[in-house]
Amino acid sequence: MKTALLAENLEILKKSKGGDFELIIPELAIYRDEVLVILGPNGSGKSTLLRTLAGVDIPYAGTLKQKTNGRVTMVFQRPIAFAGSVLHNARIALRAQGLSKQVVEKRSQDALTHFGIAHLSERPASELSGGELRRLALARAFALEPAVLLLDEPFDDLDARAQEALSTDLRNAVAQTGTAVVVVTHDLQRAALVSDRIAVLLQGRMRQIGTQSEVLNQPVDRETAELVGMSNLIQAELDSQGLAHFGSGQAIQTKSVNSPGPVYIGLRPEHLKLELSLQGQTILNEVRVTALASDGLLTTLHLDWGGETLRTHLVAGRGLARQIDIGTPLSLSVLPEDVHILSRN
Amino acid sequence: MIDLDTPTLLEITLRTLGVCLTSLSIALLLGVPLGIWLGSRLFPGRRWLLGLVNSGMGAPPVVIGLIVAQMFYRSGPLGHFELWYSVQAMVVAQVLLALPLVIALVVAAVASLDPDWQLQVKTLGIPTPWRMLLLLREIRLGLLAAVIAALGGTLSEVGAVMQTGGNLEGETRVLTTSILMYTQMGLFESAYALAAVLLGLMLVLAGLLTWVQYGERR
Repeated sequence: MKTALLAENLEILKKSKGGDFELIIPELAIYRDEVLVILGPNGSGKSTLLRTLAGVDIPYAGTLKQKTNGRVTMVFQRPIAFAGSVLHNARIALRAQGLSKQVVEKRSQDALTHFGIAHLSERPASELSGGELRRLALARAFALEPAVLLLDEPFDDLDARAQEALSTDLRNAVAQTGTAVVVVTHDLQRAALVSDRIAVLLQGRMRQIGTQSEVLNQPVDRETAELVGMSNLIQAELDSQGLAHFGSGQAIQTKSVNSPGPVYIGLRPEHLKLELSLQGQTILNEVRVTALASDGLLTTLHLDWGGETLRTHLVAGRGLARQIDIGTPLSLSVLPEDVHILSRN
Repeated sequence: MIDLDTPTLLEITLRTLGVCLTSLSIALLLGVPLGIWLGSRLFPGRRWLLGLVNSGMGAPPVVIGLIVAQMFYRSGPLGHFELWYSVQAMVVAQVLLALPLVIALVVAAVASLDPDWQLQVKTLGIPTPWRMLLLLREIRLGLLAAVIAALGGTLSEVGAVMQTGGNLEGETRVLTTSILMYTQMGLFESAYALAAVLLGLMLVLAGLLTWVQYGERR
């Protein structure tokens, strides 16, 4: 992976109404040809970090090294359109750089076409919808062929379908141009839509950086686990055979042997396997449905597992989701490799 | 009976337009950059400066006229320029009256832009001269409002231009001071004729600007 931008030992003061705090980023490498998502809750310092990477805010310590030619540009959370037509917006930065008329035309038209708004070229930018405005901001930025593109909450105010379409266009644009893209978001689903790597930012500290799969399945601590959707976290004692014992008397097999001690067991909702309990069958891990709610797409289940509460999802209106109700006993199983162990220290 | 011939009326009207448009141009040349600077920068004392500008909008013209007249009076600090009772002194007074209006309306227009507007332009790598052009285009409605307000103020001003110009026939007489003079003389027909010209000028100029403004909004 070729590094496009490298941040080292950044110390940034984040000013906020709730109180100022320091962002400390020992190292953050941004690679060409990939989308890095900085994921964190509101107020964790994501936007401040992004503005620092863009050179808009100045850190009081540390360095930013651009390793490739090209501009570092940014699209703000509220996309900004300049007065004039959509085409004028796509052209303006290119014209200001003194590029030839042919190059300006080609790049601006290509970018508008890529983001699906070429048919709006003559329309005043002030008349665009929120989604169209986001597409225009992205097209204008990509037309510049930047080395690094920084996007602050690019999926805000978009419905699920528009988010999916925009993320596909974004991924295609990255594949075609090799641009390094950094997206900040507080939303895990949006992060999962576009990311190659995810960096978790909590209270001004970079807790974990890794591939999407690493961060989602092997979070480094409890707070990170909660942020990345590992919503089932249970205290347990791990024995030397890798069996995790819960306070309720239940136990579950893990892949961790020879490291006994107090731990948290992390289970992703989608890794829980549930089956209807058949009469007369001996069930090792019986759970009971205590609550269920559906949004039409997914049915969220709350399960009681000998006193521990677990949460999972089923596709609404299909299979098991049609056969269960509150109080239904179910058989629970989890693969040992899907059981994530977190230190309690 | 109208004690006013057409060449005199034309001369007074042209002088009025000349003083008004010169003052307006100078006020815009000074006020627009100052307004952009005040509207887009945060610095200690900015609030104090904005307060001063806002107070300037309500400054009584006779007080401005008094100060300018005294400055250009023979024994005043700028007396050596020999501009007392001159068109130039009238322009200075008009500029001082129009300047706070222009600055305040430009500050308001710049402040109404998205807080990230300047940063977006910067991160797109747009160089400074282009940034200025983009900004002027962005605040064009606020600029038009400033032009209309300043135009109205300068065209209808009477106190300060009387104090600094003295209403000298063939030299500093303008529409407002003539109307005042004919009213004091009891020549109401002449005063009304001049008032009609002044109102007509105001209507044509303000109407033109409003038409441009309305067209932009559409």
